[in-house]
Amino acid sequence: MPFNKNKIFDILIYIISFSFFIALVLLLSGIFFQTSLNLFIKELKNIHLWNSIFLSFKISFIVILINLIIGIPIAYILSFNRSKISFILDLISTLPLTTSPLVIGFAVLITMGPLNPIGRLFIDNGIKFVFTPSGIILVQLIISFPFFVNIVKTSFDSINRKMIDLSKTLGASSINILLKIILPLSYNGILAGLAMSWSRSMGEYAATQMVSGVIPNITETAPIEIFVKTSYGNYPAAIAIACILMLISLFSLGIFKYFNYKTKAKN
Amino acid sequence: MKLLEIKNICKSFLDKKILNGINLDIESGEISSIFGYSGEGKSTLLKIICGIIKQDNGDIMLNGKNINNLEPYERHTVLVMDEPLLFPHMNVFENIAFGSKLSSNKKRYINNNKKILKSTKEIMELLGITGLEKRYPNEISMGQAQRVSLARALIVNPEIILMDEPFSNLDIISKTKVRKLIKDINGELKIPMLLVTHDIEDVLNLSNKMFILNHGKIQDSGKPKDVLKKPSSMDTAFLLGTENIFEGIISEIDEKNNLIKIKLLNGKEGNRYIETDFQGNFEINELVLFVIRPEEIIILREDRQTSKPVRENHFSGMINSAIFTSRMMEILISSEDTFEFKVLIPFHAYEVMNLFEGKTVSISLKKSAIHIIKKKKPIRL
Repeated sequence: MPFNKNKIFDILIYIISFSFFIALVLLLSGIFFQTSLNLFIKELKNIHLWNSIFLSFKISFIVILINLIIGIPIAYILSFNRSKISFILDLISTLPLTTSPLVIGFAVLITMGPLNPIGRLFIDNGIKFVFTPSGIILVQLIISFPFFVNIVKTSFDSINRKMIDLSKTLGASSINILLKIILPLSYNGILAGLAMSWSRSMGEYAATQMVSGVIPNITETAPIEIFVKTSYGNYPAAIAIACILMLISLFSLGIFKYFNYKTKAKN
Repeated sequence: MKLLEIKNICKSFLDKKILNGINLDIESGEISSIFGYSGEGKSTLLKIICGIIKQDNGDIMLNGKNINNLEPYERHTVLVMDEPLLFPHMNVFENIAFGSKLSSNKKRYINNNKKILKSTKEIMELLGITGLEKRYPNEISMGQAQRVSLARALIVNPEIILMDEPFSNLDIISKTKVRKLIKDINGELKIPMLLVTHDIEDVLNLSNKMFILNHGKIQDSGKPKDVLKKPSSMDTAFLLGTENIFEGIISEIDEKNNLIKIKLLNGKEGNRYIETDFQGNFEINELVLFVIRPEEIIILREDRQTSKPVRENHFSGMINSAIFTSRMMEILISSEDTFEFKVLIPFHAYEVMNLFEGKTVSISLKKSAIHIIKKKKPIRL
């Protein structure tokens, strides 16, 4: 059978994509085969492991809650009130995506430390951000909110502007429009954004490490726990947490993709 | 009573002047239309009236009150656009009821003694869309969607409904139906409407008054029939698709006998004259243009005695072409002295009179139907 150019092209792109895909799956699933089932189950019974995972859950839940409160107004400004200010806001809110998380963690550590006037102010009022869960919430918020804002903004962008204009003339004020039109129409986008920022927050390590101080049961999140266990040479425990984290991100990514496709299909 | 007064509205986008001092008044209870080429700023003007775009200059008065500084939701001037723009996440009933639940409209229901459609049900009945309540916008036809959009506008009991090419996306049958519906609604509820369109049929079918928007100004206004028959300038005549434009010099003005005589210039030999009814503001020897609408030219029947009006302004010529358009026969007749006339007659008349291409016929230009226009600029042909 003669091959035409298009067929060769198709085969080539499939070969490249699938070989990378298989390598990736092998690489990631490797940890599942490194341990025996007995050891794995034994580790799952360790209360310390569950403490770190629950801490991660708790923190990431608070983070997405704050994301929801601050992210929607930011996405609204970026999408509906385009001006010079929104350009600067866009720049600032996307910056954490391109900055190393370590740098962000370091910046928070310095700024919120006792030597900095801002940190001093908070400490004097009894709010500590260094080596506390609040500090972890702060850095994870900085790192995860660009994901939320960008996904929600894309969702807002897809709403027909003529329809918004028309609803103004029907007597709808800005708050009416936000609550009755924009938010219901962006429902899927907001859920997708939450799923994305949540899994980002669940898996965050570098910035968290900087401000956490690695205090067991207080500031030791699941990713930090993996690092700690690995450095002690306790591989089975590290593998158990890694497996759980991977399943969680697979699950939340599934949710994200589902709602994302639904949004696209709708528009 | 004047409902809406627009005074000296100007608007530029970047450096391009779109609206350059628009003035117009709209009476309450009437349908008015703004007619003009696409891209002349008609939609911009509507958006300025309802507050979506701010004007650079000028005032908008609604019921004698200046509404320049009111937000769109406080103006009660509802926009209906070329697309229905229904809210996709609400069903038809929720779409229509949208405005009635908003606080900015609720107060108005109490202190307004106009006839108000009380319920969504009532309004759906009026628009003939009962039964669609539970359907979503993607489950109904374009014509139905446009009615829902109209219902959604009516329920807030607006001061005026602004319509931006509301028929342009409809097929011919829905268009006719929706047009009639709008006329009926206006008749029953006396809600004033301002229609923006580039289709002269819409204007003629619906409106009591028309404004012609050209080059950022209102160039002509009045009753649609008058404006159509007697355009005040060449620009307007072109805009309205006027055919049969001729050039001439006024050779005689006789106000007493209601007569103006014009010497034709288009012809080979300049000794043909045309008589028209007296029209003001012209001088002897003035270079003018005159127009006659294609449906006002009469083809004389060979088998009958000519009555008085058809004895005016006779020409004889040959039928060059005859095309069957959607409603009428469009006939081009060139006379012996090289004038070309476009004539529109009903198809049955074409058959009864046994007309065909190549036949020589006599035509008459009714005196009363000829309209003279001052010639200011050279004609852009």
